[in-house]
Amino acid sequence: MATVLRTLRRLCSDALLAAIAFGLSGVVVAAAVKTEHVQAELVPERTALVPGKPITLALRLKMADGWHTYWRNPGDSGLPTTLTWKLPEGFGVGTIQWPAPHALPTGPLVNFGYEGEVLLLTGLTVPREAVVGTPMKLAARADWLVCKDVCIPEGADLDIELPVADQSDPYPQWGSAIATARAALPTPLQGWQVAAQANGSKVALTLTPPPGAADPGTLHFFPHDEGRIEPSGKQVLARDSNGNFTLTLPAAIQMAPDFKRVAGVLRSGKGFVEDGERVAVATIDVPLVGTLVAGAKAPLGPLPDVDVAAPASDLSLLAAVVLAFVGGLILNLMPCVFPVLSLKALHLAEGHANARVQRLQGIAFAAGVVATFVALAALLLVLRATGEQLGWGFQLQSPPVVVGLAVLFFALGLNLSGVFEFTSLVPSSAAEWTAKNPYVDAGLSGILAVIIASPCTAPFMGAALGFALSQSLLVTLAVFVALGLGMALPYALLAWFPAWRRVLPRPGAWMERLKQVLAFPLYATVAWLIWVLGAQLDNDAVVRLLVTLVIVAFALWSWRLYRVGNSRSWAAAAAIALVSAVVIAWPLLRGGDIDATPPVATTNTGPWHAFTATTVSDLRDGGHPVFVDFTAAWCVTCQVNKRMVLNDKRIKEAFARHGVELVRADWTRRDPVITRALAALGRQGVPVYVLYRPGKEPLLLPEILKKQTVLDALATIAVPQTVTLN
Amino acid sequence: MPTSLRIIVATFALAAGISSAATSAPDFTLSDAAGNAVKLSDFRGKYVVLEWTNPDCPFVRKHYTSGNMQALQKEWGAQNVVWLAINSTNSTSYEYKSPQQMGEWMTAKGASPKAALVDATSNTGRAYGAKTTPHMFVVAPEGNVIYNGAIDDRRSSNPADAKAANNYVRAALTEALAGKPVTVASTAPYGCSVKY
Repeated sequence: MATVLRTLRRLCSDALLAAIAFGLSGVVVAAAVKTEHVQAELVPERTALVPGKPITLALRLKMADGWHTYWRNPGDSGLPTTLTWKLPEGFGVGTIQWPAPHALPTGPLVNFGYEGEVLLLTGLTVPREAVVGTPMKLAARADWLVCKDVCIPEGADLDIELPVADQSDPYPQWGSAIATARAALPTPLQGWQVAAQANGSKVALTLTPPPGAADPGTLHFFPHDEGRIEPSGKQVLARDSNGNFTLTLPAAIQMAPDFKRVAGVLRSGKGFVEDGERVAVATIDVPLVGTLVAGAKAPLGPLPDVDVAAPASDLSLLAAVVLAFVGGLILNLMPCVFPVLSLKALHLAEGHANARVQRLQGIAFAAGVVATFVALAALLLVLRATGEQLGWGFQLQSPPVVVGLAVLFFALGLNLSGVFEFTSLVPSSAAEWTAKNPYVDAGLSGILAVIIASPCTAPFMGAALGFALSQSLLVTLAVFVALGLGMALPYALLAWFPAWRRVLPRPGAWMERLKQVLAFPLYATVAWLIWVLGAQLDNDAVVRLLVTLVIVAFALWSWRLYRVGNSRSWAAAAAIALVSAVVIAWPLLRGGDIDATPPVATTNTGPWHAFTATTVSDLRDGGHPVFVDFTAAWCVTCQVNKRMVLNDKRIKEAFARHGVELVRADWTRRDPVITRALAALGRQGVPVYVLYRPGKEPLLLPEILKKQTVLDALATIAVPQTVTLN
Repeated sequence: MPTSLRIIVATFALAAGISSAATSAPDFTLSDAAGNAVKLSDFRGKYVVLEWTNPDCPFVRKHYTSGNMQALQKEWGAQNVVWLAINSTNSTSYEYKSPQQMGEWMTAKGASPKAALVDATSNTGRAYGAKTTPHMFVVAPEGNVIYNGAIDDRRSSNPADAKAANNYVRAALTEALAGKPVTVASTAPYGCSVKY
């Protein structure tokens, strides 16, 4: 009702004003053209044309509810509105001054445009020779595409007649609306320093605010032209400790070859402050430094070939479960798990609890392990359902997780080395509570065991678990449950059958010695995690982590002194150390989204090309055989293959002899392009080795490479031929 | 899953050398007008053009009322290029056309693709990242996409523009069939959004 009233009032006042205007100045405005979904008209800012002076005219488009027209860059689909002027001789005319667009999502696509009403301003200059007193007719052909669920191309021949006069006044009905529209036009961003750096298939837009600038809130970039930034791509905003912003923009999938400048409109959630006023939008136009590669296109590389995979369908669900179970058993021997489980076994050997309690503890431990594996798999499935490009091993692609694990393992190592006792860490009330609830304690140990196993499940079993994840829910669940049962079995057996203790020597000093020995695999794991972090971030991050570890060691040591000697100053020292450890590690823990961390130059060693969405297709289009190594720093299997096989002199020579172009896809950090490429190959994890041979099917090599396998594969490369048609 | 299990064997047992020379990526099998299943990988060894289409889209109509699309289909069909028109309009959209309706429309337009396919789930459109109708892909005999983008360089819905435009698909096929690399392999497509 209110809307109707408002419309009526507006219509009346419009009519009145128009009548006054007509009466006062003799302006003739042609009626608006109404199409099915749009009302279109040309409207003037001033009442008259003044010889030699500029005047602004606007194309006013009023769209029906829910319908939109497009900006200069329409986004994923659509078409910009166009104006073709038909003007009397001597008139100058500018281009459309586009208001800032809005993002208009449709399904998975995003378009840029306007809903409701929009004024597209154009500046004209009246010729000096225009004769005062004669009316002049200004005409234009307007074409626009108006879309809701469907798209309709519409257009109209519009005109307006204005008198030529020595002076003019703001046009009653439109003067202020046009002035307001002009004021709202995006203008160059004031005071900020902006730079654009290409980084793979991303553009890192660095925005340095002027001193004392207000927080602009969210930022979204709208590229002026098509083929620059992917309209539906995720833009990630990060803020560093200096208060600078980095907006990471995904390169267009269909990228224009002449993308040399990053030009467009920035829309700010809270607004930029300029001359004391907040403006929501501003333009930027900066050179793009570096070489940008187009975004990933689906599908990547080879098209599907289901038939090749089909004959392999000879293993049952049962076999999958059995194999996962065996894998779980083997996990117990992994360097990250073995020491901790040995410790638990030693605890059993001391035989404090009665047999029944121990058996139930074994079951509680198994339940904790299985539940945690299933929870991790579920988490991954949910994240992927929400569109995250993740595979198994995703845990180790996150620097905060790597840092957390390094600290955890270091603390466990110190514990085994005898620097402190866990019992001295927790308040005695908590210790008593776990003693009273031995099953909860055992269940928590199970959860901890899976967490500490994760640095090993990802590197050794990433590809296998990734595969399990791509199967039906039932298979995924069965595989993860079996994996958990396998991992929990040895401990559960030890708990269930206490007879094994008889073959052990009596508890004594040897146990202490064994514990101390077991600390070293944990320290080795820490060393490896530090190396992973270095590969993900930089040397600064490594130093930060090392300093954090030193302080953590000091904190644990001083806390023990406090518990033993009960001196408060040691407690204070421990607390201060702990706080400073957190402060120092904070930049590492904060950068949750690896996309948002500052780009690191990819080390492109020797003959290896860095992987981008188009590297492989470009090289293959050049007629070369291509070998792609999908790898990650945290993937131990990958590193072994690299050192033992790919870097071998004989293999290197064979690659060179066959003219093979080498590409390395480094998945150490999260990289949706690589994740998609892996998915296109039917894989969810690394390592993956693919050999593309001209004129033949791509060849996938096994995860565990042998030199002979690689040589045999290379031998199948045909002599390069021209493409034949059939 | 079996391939995966081979990998599980290989990795878990740390037993080397069990090779799984399998490639798999989203191939598509879609229904043509007669209800027959048409599979992309059946055309290995030939150039294939994928044309994303939607009879209700004015940009598609531009190329069919001008006769431009039919001429391309005929021209390249004669050169043994497989032309597949795909409508990824989701079955929940009211612009959805059944395979039979698509077939009838193609016949009425005098079009001669190898097949007019209906992708009622839109999965194939998503797999290719098809954005607009039309959106064109050219697939080489060994299965690479060698062109992905707009049909031509006149970004309009005006049928008169179709003939005068520089047609990217024709250019790509001409070069590819002459054994040359495709100069313009990627452009921003234009048209209506695919109705996902």
